Amino acid sequence: MSLVAKNALLALLITVLIIGTVFYAIEYLDRRRAAEVSAIANRLLTDTLSLETQFSLLEDAPCETLGKGGLLSELSDLGERLSFTEERLGSDDTEVKELKKQYTLLEIRDYLLTKRLASACKLNPVTVLYFYANSEDCETCDRAGYALSYLRETYPTLRVYSFDYTLELGALATLVAVEKIEKDLPAFVIQGKTHYGFTNIDELKSRLPEELLETATSTPTEDIEL
Amino acid sequence: MNLEILAYPFLFVAMYFEVFLLITLLSAPARAARGRPLLAEETLPSVAVVVPCFNEAGTIGDTVESLLGLRYPKERLSLILVDDGSTDDTLRELRRFERHSQVTVLQKENGGKHTALNAGIAAAPYAEFIACLDADSLVAPDSLRYVVSCFRHPQVAAATGSLSIHEPRGLLGHLQYGEYFFSITLRHIISSINGLYVTPGPLSVYRRSVIQEVGGFRHGHQTEDMEMALRIQRAGYRIENALLARVFTKAPRTLRSLLRQRIRWTSGFLRNMTGEYRDLLWNPRFGVLGLLVLPLGLVSVAGGILLFCLAIWTLIRRMADFYVLSSGIPLDYALVPQSLDIFYAPASATLLLALIAVTVALGFIVLGKRLSRTKGPIRYGLAAYALCYGIIAPLWLMRAAADVATGTHRTWR
Repeated sequence: MSLVAKNALLALLITVLIIGTVFYAIEYLDRRRAAEVSAIANRLLTDTLSLETQFSLLEDAPCETLGKGGLLSELSDLGERLSFTEERLGSDDTEVKELKKQYTLLEIRDYLLTKRLASACKLNPVTVLYFYANSEDCETCDRAGYALSYLRETYPTLRVYSFDYTLELGALATLVAVEKIEKDLPAFVIQGKTHYGFTNIDELKSRLPEELLETATSTPTEDIEL
Repeated sequence: MNLEILAYPFLFVAMYFEVFLLITLLSAPARAARGRPLLAEETLPSVAVVVPCFNEAGTIGDTVESLLGLRYPKERLSLILVDDGSTDDTLRELRRFERHSQVTVLQKENGGKHTALNAGIAAAPYAEFIACLDADSLVAPDSLRYVVSCFRHPQVAAATGSLSIHEPRGLLGHLQYGEYFFSITLRHIISSINGLYVTPGPLSVYRRSVIQEVGGFRHGHQTEDMEMALRIQRAGYRIENALLARVFTKAPRTLRSLLRQRIRWTSGFLRNMTGEYRDLLWNPRFGVLGLLVLPLGLVSVAGGILLFCLAIWTLIRRMADFYVLSSGIPLDYALVPQSLDIFYAPASATLLLALIAVTVALGFIVLGKRLSRTKGPIRYGLAAYALCYGIIAPLWLMRAAADVATGTHRTWR
């Protein structure tokens, strides 16, 4: 075999190895991301359980201890990481689907805990339940989601819970049934009232209570008060 | 459909070629070429250096001065300066040097560079070797000795030097400065396995007997140096490269002149490859040239255009998506990244492969500088090459491909 042929074959072997390593490394990184998201979700699950337990223990006076509680900022961070991971691994990835279910359950539990705290402590948090689907089933969901992210940053007291309408999860199906959400997405439940469709951010803002709009800040806070 | 998939074959080919080059660089023929000794002074052959000139009054003086400074026995070196019907003061400049016994000045009607070269060759029937040098280039004192030292084997028909940009200025100057060092490495490696298909105007030396055998220079779609090299390869000869034969040329200073030059080179290559020299492609008789170098030359044109279009399309699509997404959202929120966490690093196989390919290319630039023992900083060249080459090169690739597809022919200048 000539020198050139030998070099050509060796180069092919090395190239395949390099490219294989690159693809493996990227897949490994994506799996590490998913693992990180899973670790955060597990930690939040523990925190949620702790909050719920505290709430039960302090039934008579939960407000002083838990008034500043809630895990929404951590949940938002988890949601963003999960969304990025979903972009990387795809919506059909089994691990992503499981993480989304875990995340959805955490959101529902936080939402319920918030409601209980609000009732016990006589608070009136502004809550948005946002139901979406992927862009094939919902053309304006990406825009609505982005607008809500902006509103959440701008109005720190706004609590946004995002739910993938198409996710197969019993608790989510129950929430959809309880809130009577139809498949006309995007759908928003704001202060108990259901709205469908998204045209622009101003229209969405007009659905929010006026007292919330007076709380705008340029520096979003970490701890979200109820 | 994810259009990124279209980039994978080209990234694979680019990666493969770079790995092949690196392996070949370490192989015995390349090592031998790096250690090639100079011919002893008493054995140096007679050489006629032909300098074709057309309206080169501004540069020809320095070029001839550098030729007169060559460390080569005077009795075996003649300079044939050919004025190809210039309309400026080129002829007067050339006449200044007639007092030197080595210098012969010819004047002829304008007929193109190839005709000027042939006139010069015809005027030096005594020379064993013919060297060609562009009128905007300068040679280092030992360059000719290094090049003629390549002709130890009778199968070697031509040899080239290592070309650099003379006094690079501005972004385009440094961009070409880096690019030419990349070419030095590439030419050194490819020549060691006889894959060269260009004997560049700035200092290439030919065995006179081979020129007589294959015929003189032709128009060659305005790339007479490429056409001659392809003809030599087709005749079964070798083309060598002298790594330490330093030649310096003046780079086009404006984008317009750079594009014009590169469109000429690229369209010349495409026309030669799709025309008279099509039979060399995929032809095992021509070894690495036919099976790898020439096909990859075509793939690089197609890949450069496709990857550029893909990048532009992705950019436009992302901008459009961003515009729609952020409609009504204040820019101070929309334009500021929401998180700098490493978690969100946009690592993808395409990006990583492209980064590896660019890093190796930059490594070749540094290597070219070291192998050719060129002094001076290279950082601006590296930066300009890394940041701008991928944006500017596709412009001439697209234009050249369009010219060939539509049968458009351009003037030299």
